[in-house]
Amino acid sequence: MLFFSFFKTLVDHEVTIELKNDLSIRGTLKSVDQFLNIKLDEIQVVDEVKYPHLSAVKNVFIRGSVVRYVHLPANAVDTALLEDATRREAAAQANKAK
Amino acid sequence: MSFFGFNTTLPRDRAAHAPHPTQAPGFSQQVDAFAGLSGNSNEKADDDGYDFEDTYDGLGDKLDEGDDEFNDETFGGGNAAAPGKDFDFFGSTAKVANAINEEQLLYARGPKKPTQPAPPSYHQDHQPKAPSYAATTKPKPQPAPKHQVPTEIPELKPEMSIWNTTSPDATPAKNLSAHAAAHFSHFENSLQEPPPAQPSFSQPAPATRKYKSLEEVEAEILSKKQARLAAAQQPSQPQLPPHTQLNQQDGWPGRPVQGFPPHPQMQLQQPPHQQIELPFPPRNMPPPQQNQRPPQNDRTPEHLQRGPVPQPGPGGQLPFPQIPTNPQFQGNNIPFPMGMIPPPGPPGPQGPQGPQPPFVGMPPMQPQIMQMTEEERVKFLEEESKRLKRNHKIAQLSRYNGLMTPSDKNFITRIQLQQLVSVNEDSFNEDFYYQVYMAIRARNNPQQPLNQFAQTYLGQQGARGGRARRQDNHLLRMQQQVQRAVAAAKARPKASQLVLEGSLGKISFSNVKTPKPLLSIKKQDSTGVVEPGQKQAHAFAGIDRRSILAAAEDIYRCLLDLDSHERKHPGPSLTGQQPDANTIQWFEVRDALIAKLWRSMRIMEPIKEEPNALHPFIAILSVKKAKEAIPRVFRYIDLQQRITILTMITISLDQVDVIKDGRYAPDTLSLSNETKKKIEGFSQYVLPPLLSYVGDAQLDVITGLLGILLDRVNVLLLSQTQIGLAFLTMFTSRAEIIKQANQADDQGVLKWTQTYDRLFEVLEDHLLDIFPPHGAQVDDMYVWQFLASMAVGANMSQQQKMVAAVKDRVNDNVQASKTLPQEMGQHKLANTNLFLRALGLDIDLLLS
Repeated sequence: MLFFSFFKTLVDHEVTIELKNDLSIRGTLKSVDQFLNIKLDEIQVVDEVKYPHLSAVKNVFIRGSVVRYVHLPANAVDTALLEDATRREAAAQANKAK
Repeated sequence: MSFFGFNTTLPRDRAAHAPHPTQAPGFSQQVDAFAGLSGNSNEKADDDGYDFEDTYDGLGDKLDEGDDEFNDETFGGGNAAAPGKDFDFFGSTAKVANAINEEQLLYARGPKKPTQPAPPSYHQDHQPKAPSYAATTKPKPQPAPKHQVPTEIPELKPEMSIWNTTSPDATPAKNLSAHAAAHFSHFENSLQEPPPAQPSFSQPAPATRKYKSLEEVEAEILSKKQARLAAAQQPSQPQLPPHTQLNQQDGWPGRPVQGFPPHPQMQLQQPPHQQIELPFPPRNMPPPQQNQRPPQNDRTPEHLQRGPVPQPGPGGQLPFPQIPTNPQFQGNNIPFPMGMIPPPGPPGPQGPQGPQPPFVGMPPMQPQIMQMTEEERVKFLEEESKRLKRNHKIAQLSRYNGLMTPSDKNFITRIQLQQLVSVNEDSFNEDFYYQVYMAIRARNNPQQPLNQFAQTYLGQQGARGGRARRQDNHLLRMQQQVQRAVAAAKARPKASQLVLEGSLGKISFSNVKTPKPLLSIKKQDSTGVVEPGQKQAHAFAGIDRRSILAAAEDIYRCLLDLDSHERKHPGPSLTGQQPDANTIQWFEVRDALIAKLWRSMRIMEPIKEEPNALHPFIAILSVKKAKEAIPRVFRYIDLQQRITILTMITISLDQVDVIKDGRYAPDTLSLSNETKKKIEGFSQYVLPPLLSYVGDAQLDVITGLLGILLDRVNVLLLSQTQIGLAFLTMFTSRAEIIKQANQADDQGVLKWTQTYDRLFEVLEDHLLDIFPPHGAQVDDMYVWQFLASMAVGANMSQQQKMVAAVKDRVNDNVQASKTLPQEMGQHKLANTNLFLRALGLDIDLLLS
């Protein structure tokens, strides 16, 4: 749930989603769910010349499983908090494993 | 005797009736359905249980008892040879089927005997759902209700004929196909033999009704269609099964165009009719044929026209005005067939429909349209077609309305919500980052997070969402609903795991937190899953990097525990009030956690005597994350513990990595990147809490610390590093502040002055060495700060020594500032000025 929790804070920030088929889409993150499906608004394909058929698309829903990377806006990430969250997650996992 | 050889007589009647041969072939062994009740020498049970006379409808008497001689042939009699292994199942079955069909034909054709006078109380017993109607009507068991309503609708007739000509329990006839039924009805029509009224039939009336043949029916439909086309008001009809057509027709032709406006209630009722009309014959409400009636009914009071009043006969009376229009039945989709309530059927001429009136095939509205003016007609037709289109659309859309009952929906919702609720839900644990991030944001900017909360309405907001809630009522409601539902789902937890017998692992079910089901293999207990914290707490292996990192994580674990415990704060207790048990317990737990945190820092471990032995705390402090933890640790520990930390760092200052590596190696102009980062981290995270503590410390503490420093640490070495100078600056400037504020007694001041003199002695010949090497691209402000703090506390001669020592450096800076870009030059001058001001001078004097 860490990633879900994390991505929820990025709602309304601009992110770049790199898909497993090498398509990179930049847009405003509108919502994300527990499968890390992603809804983007006002999208722009990074390499527009290569994918002209996407130049008319304004918003997309991306299935979480096809995402390779999400480029984050650095200033929207609280790294110290993220570290803590990671620790908690790890602790929870360790507790569960027992 | 019945065809199948059922013994339909009660045991006590057996003597009176011609007994069926007990050795008869077929099913005679199992005949007596009531044998179980009565046969066990309890004759009275018959009277207590079902009274056969009451329940028997006399069907057995109507059966053709002839032709029994072929039973043996059909079913294989007792004297027939036992079927071999090559028994022809199909052939035998076919024989039986043929025999049954023949029997049915014969039966359907045969004249009906008046039934036995026994009232059909049996049926009433089994129709408890329609008690209000039971008094006036006799519900009948067939589940095909809508055909029961006598209408002019010809399509329905075939099956009606079945009911009319057969008794409800004559099951074979019931199962006939519609086609066959039509055939039979034709048959009967040709016979023209109106059967006598059968008051005992639960099924009403229509025994004497004359039924049209298939040809007549077709002709009627055709004429209707033509009439419609002539009226040009029927939108193109989709190809629908006959029922559909029927109901669609029902919808329109009888609309009260003839004077009075449609009754509002009637209008209201139409949608439900439309909704449920087609796909679910068993649930069907009577089609909206209350509107459809011959013109002579038009003046019937409105209240009689609505509701499931069946089409009256040509007599022009509505035979059952007392049937309530039951809005409940129409509103909710209770699958109770309205048609189960047949017209009470005053037996006799009224119920059954006589010959159809000659105009019955025509849409009744036709005359009204004729009377209209052209304009009105066009307008009316337009409206009508619009309405029809709309109704049709609604019907299409609402086809599946009511497919799920409310409890079905609840069930589904519960399942979905259970997916949302993990077993031991702690939203702060599961959604830690989001919750805290939003809390921080909310603190910084109260307005901002509203939007975010709205977008993740499922996020539990706790008390912090209070502002958002009030402002977003809709959101609030939805969230409350979700919360309630979640609480309900929590109340009945579901198993999160399935352990199959003999399997190595367990199968976890997915939920919203773990969308992918995991096969979690249970670890063997023998391998010993030791809690990492425990392990390290007992044995701190040494100062290898791995154990240092683990120890730092230990600190964080304690910090996180404390943080989450802090969130459970019971709230401030009122002053002067005895804290309640909860609060006391909370503080106890808190103290325990702090103690644990304190232990995890290993600061109390004894300092080893041998040189170069690194104290664990100092070792831990060498990693960045440990440095970052210091401010957070300082929030929880008390003053005594803070001074312990400060002392520990001070004592071991020359071992701290930022000091050890902080000196400029000969002939180098810069430190390594790693060291730079470390110094930065140390001054960013460790120094501020220490400074804040020192800022409140008493003079004797400062004196003591500086004394320790001078005793145990190589101050010269210290002075050549940024952090070391920062420490010295910290002590001297604090002491100076205390001195000038007159907060210390003379004794303390004297002690401090002695310590200061010692420091000055050590440093006075090496004042130039404290500067970073010439040409190093670093900000040397910290050096000037130190010099300034020294200068303030120095006496006259000390100040002169200092000026003499650093005069060159001051001049260098002044010169350099002239060649540098203005900003950097100004900065350099300002740095230098720090020192000059402390001496009571100013840089302007030098510049001018």
